[in-house]
Amino acid sequence: MTPVFTDESTHIEHAPPPVQRIDDTRGTYGMLLFILTEAMLFVFMFFSYYYVEKGNERWRVEEPPKLHYALPQLGVLALACLLMWWGQKQAVQRKAFTARTMLIATIILGLGYLTLGYLDDLEHQLHVGPRTDAYGSIFYTITTVHAGHLILGILMCFWVLFLPRSKWEPVERPPHRPYYNVLLYWYFLAVVWAATVAILYIGPNVYNAL
Amino acid sequence: MSKEQVEQRLTQLWESPKTLWGALATVDHKTLGKRYIATAITFLIIGGVEALMMRLQLAKPNQALLGPEMYDQIFTMHGTTMIWWYASPILSGFAVFLVPLMIGARDMAFPRLNAFTYWTYLLSGLLLYVGPCLGQAPHAGWFAYVPYTLRPYSPAHGTDFFNLALILLTISTTGGAINFIVTIMRLRAPGMSVNRMPLFLYSTLTTSWVTIFGLPPLTAANVFVELDRRWHTHFFDTAHGGNPLLWQHLFWMFGHPWVYIVFLPATGMLSMIIPTFARRPIVGYPYVAISTVLTGLVGFGVWVHHMFAVGMSHMTMSFFSAASMTISIFTAVQVFAWIATMWRGKPVLTSSMHFAVGSVALLIIGGLNGIFTAVIPVDWQVTDTYFVVSHLHYVLVGINMFPVFAAFYYWLPKMTGRMMHEALGKVSFWVMFVGFNFTFFPMHVLGIEGMPRRIYTYAPNLGWDWVNMMITIGAFTLALGILLSIINFFWSVKHGQVAGNNPWFADSMEWSIESPPKPYGSIHLPTIASRHPLWDEHDEEKDPNNQRILDQARLTFTTTWLDADYVALASIPEDTILPLLLALGMFVLLGALVYQLLWVVLGAGIFSLLITGIWLWPTSEGQIG
Repeated sequence: MTPVFTDESTHIEHAPPPVQRIDDTRGTYGMLLFILTEAMLFVFMFFSYYYVEKGNERWRVEEPPKLHYALPQLGVLALACLLMWWGQKQAVQRKAFTARTMLIATIILGLGYLTLGYLDDLEHQLHVGPRTDAYGSIFYTITTVHAGHLILGILMCFWVLFLPRSKWEPVERPPHRPYYNVLLYWYFLAVVWAATVAILYIGPNVYNAL
Repeated sequence: MSKEQVEQRLTQLWESPKTLWGALATVDHKTLGKRYIATAITFLIIGGVEALMMRLQLAKPNQALLGPEMYDQIFTMHGTTMIWWYASPILSGFAVFLVPLMIGARDMAFPRLNAFTYWTYLLSGLLLYVGPCLGQAPHAGWFAYVPYTLRPYSPAHGTDFFNLALILLTISTTGGAINFIVTIMRLRAPGMSVNRMPLFLYSTLTTSWVTIFGLPPLTAANVFVELDRRWHTHFFDTAHGGNPLLWQHLFWMFGHPWVYIVFLPATGMLSMIIPTFARRPIVGYPYVAISTVLTGLVGFGVWVHHMFAVGMSHMTMSFFSAASMTISIFTAVQVFAWIATMWRGKPVLTSSMHFAVGSVALLIIGGLNGIFTAVIPVDWQVTDTYFVVSHLHYVLVGINMFPVFAAFYYWLPKMTGRMMHEALGKVSFWVMFVGFNFTFFPMHVLGIEGMPRRIYTYAPNLGWDWVNMMITIGAFTLALGILLSIINFFWSVKHGQVAGNNPWFADSMEWSIESPPKPYGSIHLPTIASRHPLWDEHDEEKDPNNQRILDQARLTFTTTWLDADYVALASIPEDTILPLLLALGMFVLLGALVYQLLWVVLGAGIFSLLITGIWLWPTSEGQIG
């Protein structure tokens, strides 16, 4: 076939690759896309909460969930993210002991978050349970799905924790990538919980106060 | 090293062992792509047989071949199989095979994820068909409206298998979407900037983004229904404050973008095939690319047009009516571009081109009757009648099945190394085209005359008898046409003419290598200098110092997402059984959930997590994916 298209102005060189560096960013892109699609799952669960609530005479607002566990849970997650962020910086500087210590602290904080959530559920179930009505079903589904994601986050921390030091620091790639990917996931957990507190906890309390 | 030694070295690196273990552990995108296609065609045949059973029942009034319950189950399985297990996976199969070849990469960004998504796709289909094998098929239609799917109306396990199989399929589809996005954005050959990407990549990329955003509502809806069915929650139970319309919203928030998931890659195929056979570049490349992206974007804003009959404010309905009409503009841009390309070119009427041109004609009809249903008063009149059945088949078959057959005749020579029989292909097209129109065009008439969809029989003397008989004859004619192409395939694989590298004189990179491709693709990874690499004067494989052979390990290039400038080397993992094991773990987990075998669920969950941990354990070579 006769050439029908040439673009000499941007004709690229047949040059060899400039460096022989191994790419390690694909995992981060994969994690970001995984986070994005999981975030959409929560968006649609929040939509469901509002959709069923709208104009629903049976919607329970007379006993809104209390904030005295939910807000500390948010604080715990924020602290966990902060520690992991700092730990990741240490991993970049190849300070493996400090980085691992921050991971252990994050795991402990995650377990603390789950304990607080359990206590919150015990208290809230005195008024409404997941099988009481549609409000209870949606409320507990959202909080349970988030707790499930948090358990996954803890397992990710364990996984990074047990990575041998040599796997963190191969000479041809940055040492902190798995750590960084898990950190991104914990940011996601914190943001979703902040949204959950605003929508499921603070919203009904404000509505009642008005 | 001589060329033979280099080829031998690359083959050693990239070829899967020809053993059972090698077959189960392979991560080769070419093998997986062909498996996707073969599996999807199997589901097409199963769904097609179900359709023929329905048509036999409806050929004459008061038939008793199928009872009402059996008819409900058959139409549910037909729609479910075709929409989810054929229409989208067949396009994924082509994309899995073609995308790395088109971008000049040696595999996908995440080859093990690629294998995992195939196995979960296959196992999700098996999970779906467990119900029918146990005599408990779902029976609430492919969009499974509540409350019909709740326990009081659907006590059997078929609906549970339906919901959980869909959840497994969404995991597969989402994994595939992540893989396509990272592959297309990071592994393109140096020089293949976004304005030089083949249009098939635009459609695959758009579809993948739509999947990331569009599948979660379906997952949420399936989880809610299963919780209501098996764990006594009240999402949809009006007696306890639930709302059945929540299902419809969530389903169609997913469902309408899904229409574009099964539509856009097929338009991308047409945008590759038509210019090749028109012997010129496509007219309006940037407009087609932008229209593709905008179709995916606006597709999120039209879901309510599936729900005009449920009762909503006029403002809401007017907005969604307008949005639904707007989306036709972007499709029209693509249609006009294809027509203009043919008009300005010198079309060669191969079998593939026959199917491509036929699908454009069917898309125009399906698009026009779609505008009818976007007009609220007309929609109210024809909702749940055969008019809607006609519309959705013109769109889905017209712009999915016909382009897929065009793609078969176009790309099968690349996959098998043999040309399909042209004359038999053209006969197959005309039989299919005539059969299709005899099947679905009269449904417009039936719908306007008031025949509801999903009735298992009808009384005589309503004026529907001869039309239904004609539709049944058309359906069998369509099936005969499909059978001819299947026969053509099996004949051509053995006896077809040897294809060579580029039998169509096409312009995209997959045609630069042997047919069928070697396990490693091209010896020298290519560089790209224009939108039409095989039609320009640039030698893509010119590599005087052998710097782009990359035979140290399983490597390919990573590049920047916009300009495709060289960034680094990507290490590609070797074959492994882990994706299959993880898929099996999830299959057992979801299957056990149907019967609430919680210890099995727990065991399968722990097994799946362990496999995931092993999978993700990094190697010293930095293999990812």
